[in-house]
Amino acid sequence: MYKITNGEYQNMEEGLDFAVKYPFSESAKKHIQGMAADERIVELAVERIKKAMKGESSARMLLHDSEKREEIASFAAARMILGHLHNSFLTSHFAVNESKRARSYLDREDEAVVDGVAGRFGITTRDNGETLVVDLPTYLTYSLRNPDYRLINRRLKQGMVEITPSQKRRLVEEAVRQHVEDIPLVKDPPDIIKQAGKQLLAELPKSEVRITVKPGDHPPCVMKMLESARKHENLPHHARWYLATYLNAIGMGEEDIVKVYSGLPDFSEKVTRYQVSHVRKKGYSVPSCATVMTYGLCCAVCGIGHPLNWHTLGEERKRVIRR
Amino acid sequence: MRSNDMLVVKRTFASYYADADFRIPGLEQREFGIGNLKKIEARHLNFANASEFRRYLCNNTPMFVSHSTAYYDFPGATPIQKKQWKGADLVFDLDIHAEGKYGAYAKLEAVKEEVMRLVDDFIINDFGVKKEDIAVVFSGNRGYHVHVRDKAFLGLGGDERRELVDYIMGQGLDYLGFFPAPGKGPQKLLGPRPDEGGYRGRMARGVIRLLEENPAALSRKYADAKEREFFISGIKEGNWSRTFLKFDELKRRIKVVADTLPIHSVNTDVGVTQDLSKLIRVPNSIHGETGLIAKIMEDVTAFDPWKDAALENQTANQNKTKNTDKTKNQNKNPGELGRANGSDGGGVGGGDASGTGSGGVGGSASGSVVGEMKVKFIEDVPELVLGADTVGPFRKDEMKELPQRFALLFVCKDSAVFA
Repeated sequence: MYKITNGEYQNMEEGLDFAVKYPFSESAKKHIQGMAADERIVELAVERIKKAMKGESSARMLLHDSEKREEIASFAAARMILGHLHNSFLTSHFAVNESKRARSYLDREDEAVVDGVAGRFGITTRDNGETLVVDLPTYLTYSLRNPDYRLINRRLKQGMVEITPSQKRRLVEEAVRQHVEDIPLVKDPPDIIKQAGKQLLAELPKSEVRITVKPGDHPPCVMKMLESARKHENLPHHARWYLATYLNAIGMGEEDIVKVYSGLPDFSEKVTRYQVSHVRKKGYSVPSCATVMTYGLCCAVCGIGHPLNWHTLGEERKRVIRR
Repeated sequence: MRSNDMLVVKRTFASYYADADFRIPGLEQREFGIGNLKKIEARHLNFANASEFRRYLCNNTPMFVSHSTAYYDFPGATPIQKKQWKGADLVFDLDIHAEGKYGAYAKLEAVKEEVMRLVDDFIINDFGVKKEDIAVVFSGNRGYHVHVRDKAFLGLGGDERRELVDYIMGQGLDYLGFFPAPGKGPQKLLGPRPDEGGYRGRMARGVIRLLEENPAALSRKYADAKEREFFISGIKEGNWSRTFLKFDELKRRIKVVADTLPIHSVNTDVGVTQDLSKLIRVPNSIHGETGLIAKIMEDVTAFDPWKDAALENQTANQNKTKNTDKTKNQNKNPGELGRANGSDGGGVGGGDASGTGSGGVGGSASGSVVGEMKVKFIEDVPELVLGADTVGPFRKDEMKELPQRFALLFVCKDSAVFA
C-alpha cells in the first residue's frame, strides 16, 4: 500500500482517518483543499492551541466525514494563527503537543503505516535482516540528546545506524515536532485569524517569571539551557535534571527553580515540583563536566572540570570562554 | 615582522598565487576572510569565480586567507543572518599542542597516523562517506584539516556535528556495555565481533591485535600460541569466554585497548566542527606564520611538509597540474551546492596571472626570491628537526644563508629578519 520512493511516499490510498491522525501529511492537505477558515474551524483551532498550552491531549470522537475534515482544517488554521502571532511559547507548546499526539497514534500502527509517515520526513529505514537501520545524518537530526541515543553506544556501519522499531517511532515524533515548529510567518491573515490570535495572547500566562541572568553568570552549558527554557524550547530529561542540581547547588529555592521550568512546552507544575523537591531531598550533586559531556550537553571548551568551578574563574577568563 | 620583510614575503606568496592550483567547491557561495598581522582582519569578502579570487590574491596578497566552511546565498552580506546559510562542510581539525615556538613540528609526522585512522576508520567506514567527498589538508602550520563535503552531511546543525566529534573523541564510550551480563545457564561471555561496525568492531579487532602483537599485555599465559589462538577464535564469533581469565578481570584488563580506540588529537578544537560560520584556511593557500602551503594531501603517508608544502618546490608541481586544472575543477564536484565549480574561465593561464600579479605588492612575479636567502636572527633558536633536515641551533644576531623554506619560516615566525 505504501510505496517508498526516494524518501517520498505515494499517498493515493490514504483515507480521511489517516489525515485526521497525521494532519501535517501531504494527503491531509488534499482532504481540506478548497475549505475556508470559517468560524467553526477557527474555534476548533483555538481550542487545539489552548489544549497544547496545558499539555492536554485532544482526542475527540469524530463520526462524520465533515467533522473529520473540520478537525484536519483546525490544524491548518492553528498553524495560520501561530504563523501570524510568531510567539515562541505558543508555537513550541503546539509542536510538542502535536508530535505527542501523532506518536500516540504511531504506537498503534503497523510498520507500513509508520514508514509512510516517516517517509514524509526523509526517515527511511532499511530492514537489515534482523535489525532496522537508518542513515546517519537523519539519525543525528532527529535523535534525542540523551545517553541512550548517543551515537557512540550504537551499532554504526557504513553510515547506517541500528535502531529498534520503537526508536523509529521516537525519531518520527521528533521529526513531527521540528516540522510543526517550523511555521512560516503569515503576514496579514484574514480578520478571523487575527481575532483568534488576540484571544490567545490574552490567555498567555501573565507572570512569565524568569531568573535574571547576566552573560557570564553561569557556565555556557547552563546559560544555553536557561536560554532554551526562556524561549520555551524543549529540554531533554537529562538537561532538566542537570539544571535542577545546578540551580539547587548555587542556592536557589524550590519555588524559583520550578519557575525556571514553567516556560517549557510540556510544563506540568505538579510533576516539576515533585522532581525538583526530589533532587533537593536526595541532595543529588551536580554532575562533573565529563558526565555533562556524556549527556551531550557540553557546548564550550571551559576546561573547568566541574560546572561549579565556573564561579572561581576570573571575569576575563569567562569572557574569553564565552567568545 | 618588519614591513620591508613582509613585502619580500608577500612577493614570494604572490608569485605562487599567480598559478596556484585552487580547488574550492562552491567558491562563489563562500565567505572569505583575510589578514596580515592577525589571521582574520577582514571578513565577509566574496568572489564570483576562481580567477577573481586569484586576481585578488595576486594584487593584495594577504598573509592569511580563509574561507567559510558554510555555503550561503549571499556570502558577502552582513550581518551574518542575511547571508542565508545553506549548509556547511563538515570539518575536523587535528591540532598539535607542544611546548615552545617550534615544538609542534617534530610531532607532525606522528599525528599523520591519527589523520589516516580518522579518515579511513571513522569517516569512511563508520560514517559512510565516499573517499572523493573528503579532502585532507595540511593546515600550513601545526596540524591537519579534514574537509567532508558529502551532500548528506552539509545540512547538519551544530549539536549534531558535536555528536560526531564526541563520537570520534570517544566521549561517553562505555565499552563494558558491549558485554551484556550473562544470563542463566552455562556461563558464557558474549561480546563484539571483529567484523562489526563502529566501536564494537574496533574493540574486538583491537584486542585481537594486542593478543597477536603483545600478548603479555593482557596476560603472560597468552604467550602460549594455543591459549591465544583459542581465545581469538572465540572473539571472532563474538564469544569471549574461551579464556582462563575471570570475566570481570578480562573486562578490566582490556581497558588499555578501549583507551586507544578514539582519536585523541581532535580533542583540542571542537569549535571548528561545531561552528557553522567558521572560517578555515583555504586549501592550497599559504600560511603566513610559516610560509608553508596548506597543501591538499594526495598521499598522507608520503607527505612531507618541508618538501611538499614548501613554496620553492611548487613551480615544477604546478606545471604538472596546470593542464589538468580545469578538468579537475569540473570533476571534483562534491557537495552539489558547488554549482559553479570549474568556472575558473581562462584565468588559470600564466599570462593572465602574471599580468595581475604586477599590481599591488610591487614588482612582477619575477621579482620573487628563489634559492638561498640570507637572514639575521633576532632571537636564539634551538636545533630543529624539520623533515629530513636538521637546522640550527642559531644564536641571536647570527647571519645565515638558508634554503628559502627555512628562511621564510624564521622570518614569518619573527625569529629572524632578511639581511
